[in-house]
Amino acid sequence: MKFQLKTRQVCLFFIAFLPVIKLFTLPSVFAQTAREDMWISATISLLLDFITLSFLIVACKKAQTNFFGLLENNFGKIASKIILMLYFVFFSLKAIVPLGEQKDYVELTLYTLMPSKLYFLPFFALAFYLCTKHLRVLGRLSDVLWVLSVIGLLILLSLSLPNAEFDAILPIGATGVKRILSASFKAFNWFGDAVYLMFFIGEFDFRKKDGLKISISYLISSLLVVIFMAVFYSVFTSIAFRQRFALTEISKYTAVINNIGRFDYFGIVCLLFSNAFALSIPLYFSCRILNHVFNINKKWISALITTAIQLIIMTVFTQYYLSIEKLMTGALSIFFFIMANVLPLATPFLTFRRKQNEINA
Amino acid sequence: MKSTLKAKILLGLAFVLFLFFFSNDFGLIDVEKTSIITAVAIDKEDQTFTVTAQIAVPEATDTNSENLKAQLSGKGSTVGAALKDLGDVSGWFPKLAFCNLIILGDSLTDTNVIEALDYFAKTLRVQDSALVALAENSAKELLSITTPLDNISAFALQKVMLKNQGFDRDVASTDIKTFCSGYYSRNGSAFMPLIKTVNSGDNSSDESSSDSSTKGGSSGSSSSADAKNKDSLFDARTTALFKDGYKVGELDPELTLTFNALTQNFSDTTLPVNDVLEQDGKTNNYLLTVISSTPKLILNVNDGLTLDISLKLYCKISDHASQSSKDALSQNTPLSTAVKKKAQDLMTERINALIEVEKQTECDFLKIKEKLYRYHNKQYSKYKDNFLSVLKTKVNVIVEGQK
Repeated sequence: MKFQLKTRQVCLFFIAFLPVIKLFTLPSVFAQTAREDMWISATISLLLDFITLSFLIVACKKAQTNFFGLLENNFGKIASKIILMLYFVFFSLKAIVPLGEQKDYVELTLYTLMPSKLYFLPFFALAFYLCTKHLRVLGRLSDVLWVLSVIGLLILLSLSLPNAEFDAILPIGATGVKRILSASFKAFNWFGDAVYLMFFIGEFDFRKKDGLKISISYLISSLLVVIFMAVFYSVFTSIAFRQRFALTEISKYTAVINNIGRFDYFGIVCLLFSNAFALSIPLYFSCRILNHVFNINKKWISALITTAIQLIIMTVFTQYYLSIEKLMTGALSIFFFIMANVLPLATPFLTFRRKQNEINA
Repeated sequence: MKSTLKAKILLGLAFVLFLFFFSNDFGLIDVEKTSIITAVAIDKEDQTFTVTAQIAVPEATDTNSENLKAQLSGKGSTVGAALKDLGDVSGWFPKLAFCNLIILGDSLTDTNVIEALDYFAKTLRVQDSALVALAENSAKELLSITTPLDNISAFALQKVMLKNQGFDRDVASTDIKTFCSGYYSRNGSAFMPLIKTVNSGDNSSDESSSDSSTKGGSSGSSSSADAKNKDSLFDARTTALFKDGYKVGELDPELTLTFNALTQNFSDTTLPVNDVLEQDGKTNNYLLTVISSTPKLILNVNDGLTLDISLKLYCKISDHASQSSKDALSQNTPLSTAVKKKAQDLMTERINALIEVEKQTECDFLKIKEKLYRYHNKQYSKYKDNFLSVLKTKVNVIVEGQK
């Protein structure tokens, strides 16, 4: 069996792409509901993903084929295609809000005047290019981009720490269970990263202790997210909910920035660069699903369909962006939760059933 | 051949697309029509905001040693509208990315100052790390003043407000973000330095100097500045206190110094300790330098609501006015008991005065209500409305020197 990825790349995938996508508007979304307990909401969301990840690690250990194979072995071709199309919808929806965030971020912080409507086209060109590539491209990107993500985060966190009023996150849990869980519920759109491991099943050589390595890398990236959330609230306290773009705001209050200038943009640009690829990942997997479901050999066709859907949403539905965001953080959160956290729990059982079939045969 | 052409076309296309993304060439503003605003002064008359922007004018010459500046004013029903008006009447796009100072005129204290400040906290056009200060009179007039040391008052003001290591921590400086987070916090309390003008010759307040600056018109320049202004300096050692956006009181320079001793790094600050009765019966004046300070404000609810304030200062003598002395000032000589006691009494008295101001103004600048919420959340509902009236304080100041 020829593997597209290495275990190292799967580990680095989580460090490179899991934290960056959560540093734009997610902190303010958390702060609006959970206030000083926003880091607890983030921890809950990450723990849910970790549970899913643990199940998927078991599936990785047992699986003899990839996820597409597992589905077909257990449900047949038609049913597996229906399930896969549900995941196509899931990935297509999952990409919308983070994409809109990055678009808004670039437009509002890097441009003084309203830029040309075409300014975000390069992203779609990049996403289109990635979608036409083999799964190996994600492994190679992870090998390179994890360094940028970690450096970017460390620059921002180290510059923010002197201004952080850490007792602002006290008392722990005073906001109430309802608000904390409500914030976690709204945030399902940004989480559910463990689901990517489901599509890595059978694509890398799973050896002894690989499960531990993947878990540790996932926990490291989760820890970075939780620390960022805690520092974010400690810096902004009562006005945290208004800081829509945490990334730009968090580090600029240090005396050294006042004296030297905004050199924190080195860190911000590192994270923006990683995020451009992180945003392409849901599109990449929806493209893979299309290829599999419709047996598309010319990958540019599925890549074009996937990126065109997002391009249309970003350009035609700009005026409805707030309503779309409300939908994604409201009613559709249940869909995100089911697709990213509930359904993947069944994956280890799919591998077991296949084994029974093999034994019977 | 065909594939090479295809690759070239794709490469060219990628380059053009990335140009859109990274260069911002299509949204570039003509640099000659961009004003680099260094400070903004806001005044309010009736329901109209007047925003005055101080603009640094870069000179392509080395013959003029002084920084040139210009001042433009715009009016509007909101601060954003006034800034827009400023651009409309001047033809210069007001770029606020380098604006590090916002000055509010005293006319704003009649209303909620957040009406003027919130724009800067919400917009991404200006850095909310910009310093905020209150002018004693008109903010526009304060900005027009030219000091003997710097032609651009914004730079001179920033030097006074944002002191580097080695200077006294005698200014309670704040930025837009800190002020707004104070305003939106549970106690609704915030503060900012109150800028007074003083004559450079003496330290008496100079009320008239601020009247002679450019007035009435929408622009002025350094060449037309009154020479009298050259005698003025800025004093930011008084602190204006705000409760729910309204000015409710002031901290004088001594209390501002004490407030800073309790809330921030106080190293390198000097502390004059006068009339110390020595063993020989004579009185001497001392100047102590704080080498390190350890402030602690702990709120207890066990025996009623009690704020335990402890301040530990490790000091050395920087100067003392005596008729004879055995020690060089470079030596870190032990402090006499009389000096230590006098300094302790002085700081204790000032801390008690500070608490009194907090109680009288109801401006919770020591964040007692926040401490109550964060550390004694179960008691929060019991004390949240009357914490200042029932608050008892225990003050313990320890001044130490070389042993």
